[in-house]
Amino acid sequence: MATATRLGVADRSARRRHLRRNALQTTATYAILGLAVIILGLPFFWMLTTSVKPIQEVVIYPPRWLPSTIRLENFVEAWQAAPFDRFYINSVITGVATTVLQVLFALFMAYAFVFIAFPAKRYLFLLVLATMMIPVEMKLVPNYLLLKQLSWINTYWALIIPPAAHAFPVFVLHQQFRTLPKDLIDAATVDGASHLQALLRIVAPMSRPILAAVALVSFVGRWNDYLWPLIVTNQVAMRTLPIGLAYLKETQEGGNRWNLLMAGTVFVIAPILVLFLFTQKQFVEGITRGALKG
Amino acid sequence: MSRIEHARLSWRKHRRDYLTFIAFVAPNFVVFAVFTYWPILYSFYLSFTRWNFLKPEKTIVGVRNYVRLMGDEYFWEVLGNTLTYAFSVVLIAQGLAFLLALLLNRKIRGQPFFRTVSFTPHITTTAAAALVWVLLLDPNLGPLSHLYKAIGVQGPRWLASSALALWAIIIVGIWKEIGFSSVFFLAGLQGINRDYYEAAQVDGASAWHIFRYITVPLMTPVMFFLMVSGFIQAMKAFDVVAIMTEGGPVYPSSATYVYHLYQLAFRNFRAGYASAFAMLFFVAIIFITLFQIRASERWVHYGE
Repeated sequence: MATATRLGVADRSARRRHLRRNALQTTATYAILGLAVIILGLPFFWMLTTSVKPIQEVVIYPPRWLPSTIRLENFVEAWQAAPFDRFYINSVITGVATTVLQVLFALFMAYAFVFIAFPAKRYLFLLVLATMMIPVEMKLVPNYLLLKQLSWINTYWALIIPPAAHAFPVFVLHQQFRTLPKDLIDAATVDGASHLQALLRIVAPMSRPILAAVALVSFVGRWNDYLWPLIVTNQVAMRTLPIGLAYLKETQEGGNRWNLLMAGTVFVIAPILVLFLFTQKQFVEGITRGALKG
Repeated sequence: MSRIEHARLSWRKHRRDYLTFIAFVAPNFVVFAVFTYWPILYSFYLSFTRWNFLKPEKTIVGVRNYVRLMGDEYFWEVLGNTLTYAFSVVLIAQGLAFLLALLLNRKIRGQPFFRTVSFTPHITTTAAAALVWVLLLDPNLGPLSHLYKAIGVQGPRWLASSALALWAIIIVGIWKEIGFSSVFFLAGLQGINRDYYEAAQVDGASAWHIFRYITVPLMTPVMFFLMVSGFIQAMKAFDVVAIMTEGGPVYPSSATYVYHLYQLAFRNFRAGYASAFAMLFFVAIIFITLFQIRASERWVHYGE
């Protein structure tokens, strides 16, 4: 290439070759990305189309790609086949409450670790991070026993309080607060403001975007959780949406009523999908922040 | 102002700070203490007992649970399944995710669209997605049946085959993981200093050399982070198994470690044995993570 640039004719043919190679590469890029979109998106396509098909078009071999009519009754029937109103209420209440507590607790804790002097606080912080290494699965038996003793099984307390302390939001907020100018807090506290005031008037307002991001990640995590609510509830009326869906599946066993099951799946996925589509920038920020800007 | 008075003043000032600190960290630490630290200790104790959740007395059996686990075929089989699952999901998903990120990093139109679509599986409720995949993989009801019919074969019944059921679960794991990893790779690629590339181009380096000796080494920290966190995450797979196979078709051909733990504790009510089983899970995770950290010294490049 270096010698070609000195010769006009060679230069032009090299450039043409270069352009052609570029065009080829661009086409290949779009082709592969298009294929990836089809493969990654196929489950959503199949879920949505099946959820509005009449049953004959589900069980026919091979099944139709697109339904001939949109049968919205599937959603009504799925809603009636299992107490989805309860599942929704449970998921929303526990999801929102746990998220608020997680973010609030993490906000205070991260502030304390960054801005308040305390002996051996580095080791205390390690104690917090250690909880991220301990899989929730390890604690299932003792936690179940404990909740039983508290008579918390089948209550919102069991669904909300134990997951309210979470190391991940602490970690992310800790990383964020370390980038704030420490003088700001020092000046405020010297002027007689308490740490509580500094937290509420300076740090929290300055960190609004990251707080939103952390809250989103927390909410999605709670909404999607399957194992914890499965252990701490056993009445149908106390189940959350993902387990409610499994319940719907059990009640339809052998019936092959996949159009109803997919309508139920839409109930579970749709809210989280809509939330994600509107907030994806903050969401992605929330999960990548802790890891990449450490 | 006397020295004593000074010390007392500063102590008083510190006392206020210390009390504030304690108040601020208390909510999280109280919940951690009750629902994490204590249960771990209690679980450790339970692992030396035999108990069925009901009897008033727990029988102390020493290390017998651990000894029995070593000879328990199910233990080894679900451990093997879990490692197969975790290795396959992490390696395949990250390979594909890296490729996807490289493509997304090119100057292309619609980058946000592609990124959104690839990330969506990650935020989708696993239990719900798993149910969709049961339908997708069905040889008669899924979209692939068009293909099977066209070439005139009977499609594989993934979930009814002991050899394929675990791979069906792996496919779902990969599907969920690709977009997540590619977001990290893309952020990493966009963070690479352009100067490196320009310097290499001035030196006449080929595209392959630039990729091999600049892009890849600079991405190794991201790969390492994703590998360690992805592995821990994958080891804990539960929802997919519970919805798709329940460990079957012949238990435990597709059971993962946590799924078997759930069976031992909450279906067979073997609290002590399940606790020992859980302890070994923790040991396995720590061991694998430490191994990855040790191995990383050979291939991860930090700094300039």
